[in-house]
Amino acid sequence: MLTIKNLHARVEQKNILNNLNLAIKPGEVHAIMGPNGAGKSTLGYVLSGREGYEVLDGQVDFQGQDLLEMETEDRARHGLFLAFQYPVEIPGVSNMEFMKESVNAMRQHRGEEPLTAAEFLKKAKEACKQVQLPLDFLKRGVNEGFSGGEKKRNEIMQMILLEPTLCILDESDSGLDVDALQVVANGVNSQRDGKRSFIVITHYQRLLDYIEPDFVHILANGKVVKSGDASLAKQIEQEGYAFLGLDTSEEASA
Amino acid sequence: MSAWLQQVIERGQGIDDWLSPARARALDALSNTSWPTRCTESWKYTSLTALEQLDLTAESAEQPSTVEPIPGVDGLDLVFKNGVLQTDLAQLNLPAGLQITSVQTTSAVQQVIATTLFSQIKPKHHLFGLVNDALAGDVLFIDIEQNSHIGQPIRIISLSTGGHESHHRVLVRLGNQAKATLIEQALGQQNSLSTGFTECDLGEQAELEHYRLAMHTGEAIYFGGCHFCLHHHANLNSTLIGYGSQLSRTDIDIIHNGEHAKAKLNAVYLLGESEHFDLHSTIEHAKPNGTTEENVRGIVGDKANAVFNGRIHIHRDAQKTLAELNNRNLLLSRRGQINTKPELEIYADDVQCAHGATVAEIEEEALYYLMSRGISRSKALVMLNYGFIQELINQMPNQQLAQWLEPQLRARFKEMEVR
Ligand SMILES: Nc1ncnc2c1ncn2[C@@H]1O[C@H](COP(=O)(O)OP(=O)(O)OP(=O)(O)O)[C@@H](O)[C@H]1O
Ligand SMILES: [Mg+2]
Repeated sequence: MLTIKNLHARVEQKNILNNLNLAIKPGEVHAIMGPNGAGKSTLGYVLSGREGYEVLDGQVDFQGQDLLEMETEDRARHGLFLAFQYPVEIPGVSNMEFMKESVNAMRQHRGEEPLTAAEFLKKAKEACKQVQLPLDFLKRGVNEGFSGGEKKRNEIMQMILLEPTLCILDESDSGLDVDALQVVANGVNSQRDGKRSFIVITHYQRLLDYIEPDFVHILANGKVVKSGDASLAKQIEQEGYAFLGLDTSEEASA
Repeated sequence: MSAWLQQVIERGQGIDDWLSPARARALDALSNTSWPTRCTESWKYTSLTALEQLDLTAESAEQPSTVEPIPGVDGLDLVFKNGVLQTDLAQLNLPAGLQITSVQTTSAVQQVIATTLFSQIKPKHHLFGLVNDALAGDVLFIDIEQNSHIGQPIRIISLSTGGHESHHRVLVRLGNQAKATLIEQALGQQNSLSTGFTECDLGEQAELEHYRLAMHTGEAIYFGGCHFCLHHHANLNSTLIGYGSQLSRTDIDIIHNGEHAKAKLNAVYLLGESEHFDLHSTIEHAKPNGTTEENVRGIVGDKANAVFNGRIHIHRDAQKTLAELNNRNLLLSRRGQINTKPELEIYADDVQCAHGATVAEIEEEALYYLMSRGISRSKALVMLNYGFIQELINQMPNQQLAQWLEPQLRARFKEMEVR
């Protein structure tokens, strides 16, 4: 599904990813944990092709294609989905219009007819229900004035509607109440079908109680410093990152 | 005296009808007017060179775009082509309480009323308003009797085609408690010059829903004006949509001439290529307890040039006025230009006023967010641009008209270059 080799990337002259390696097979769930500023979100941005995130070295193969050569929108159309740590507010563009355009962009890519407004509304209503957002959230501006938890649910709703093959969830659990955590986890689990893969970025073991990972990776100073199974997350929950003996000073990553 | 103005005066002197006394005053004013230059405050950012160099000898074979119906809007259509009224007023099936006449058919009784409007509501300082006073041929007079509620929107379309100069004028009187909707649409692309001025008098508690679609583009030079006088408790809701051409300007004046009047003015201008659009608005609060809410949004791409000057003048007696003016701009291109100047002049002490103007760029983060969901960059830009003005479009009381406009406005963004 996704193979990242020797990835080096920088933002604003600052090297953030340093020789990052990761391989994900279809159907797998990989959790990525790691200290603040380790480069977890950066990895998501680099994979989705955000402007300003410059790849210095390395390869990323996504379903047999060179991901780094693709435009942002093409990566999405090929099935890559990033649930943002901080979803963007876009007043003036309704959530409905936004999601309809994106669903139809995917359909067009697959050679399917665009959904009519009525067809889309039906799907959107179901998705809304699934993440327990009231229907009037479809009419509101994209994330405009949404609470932190509502934004996260909105991301999961998009994931459900877009049916991606690789989902990167960047702290989709942070700022959520217990019920919302359940909603997000159910949203993810409902999309697990043995083929779809997930990268779940989180700080807390708690989410992994609901979404069981096949692998847990620790990202620090821009690279994967340790990988293991679900028990690694439990160990971190108890002991923190100290046992890894990391040098988290700035110089170490420079 | 410019040569152009000179020939206007000469032509104006040749017109003889019942408006002649008022036209003579305009001619008089014109002969005392000096031609605007860059030093003339109200023309600081709008050059008249294009008008001076306008060549009307090439008459285009282009047929004027036919008048499209607006789905869901059963309008009473009045069509001007190059300033000449095409609609046979005698054939119109008008609802009770509404009379529409042109300068030839206005009865003597109505002439008296029309004379109180013509060049009376529109301030004297508008150069092209004076030109229109002098030259407007088929002056249209729309008279709505008091207490009459005219449900059917009155739609006035003025088309200009290549090689023509035209001047059209509309006078509207809403009697006390009358209600009406007026949609004014002005179109043209080819080398042409047109002026279109409208004066509306809103009687006590009268309500007017007004739209001015200033859609001249390309080579078509346009000078437009909408001037409103609001009496006691009158209510005006006006929306302006402005495109740009090589030279396009619209002046709006709203005078609160009675207490408790309410004015809402939403304006949107969308400019690309090397288009120019200049909007000057003046709100005069002459009486107490008036309310004005003015929202102006503009999007400027390519090498286009937008000028906005919004003035709110609160006279000494206009206590308890509530007035707000907001101008927000989105500048899509480094080569584009926006000159915006909101002005508040307050002479009363017990008022609430606010004004502000901003110029912003497209947010890269929003663009990225949309693209990360598979939406192409160009489509995402159209969505963000439209999103910027959508709020004002959504506020249009006539949503059928808004829906008809939407694809046209979106299509304009497609042609705008971003960078
Ligand atoms: N635009 C930028 N300019 C400068 N530095 C940046 C920029 N974006 C990210 N960084 C830096 O890159 C580092 C990695 O950031 P990133 O957001 O990827 O961390 P993270 O692992 O997601 O952290 P957290 O757990 O707090 O979300 C941080 O030190 C951050 O300050
Ligand atoms: Mg992060």
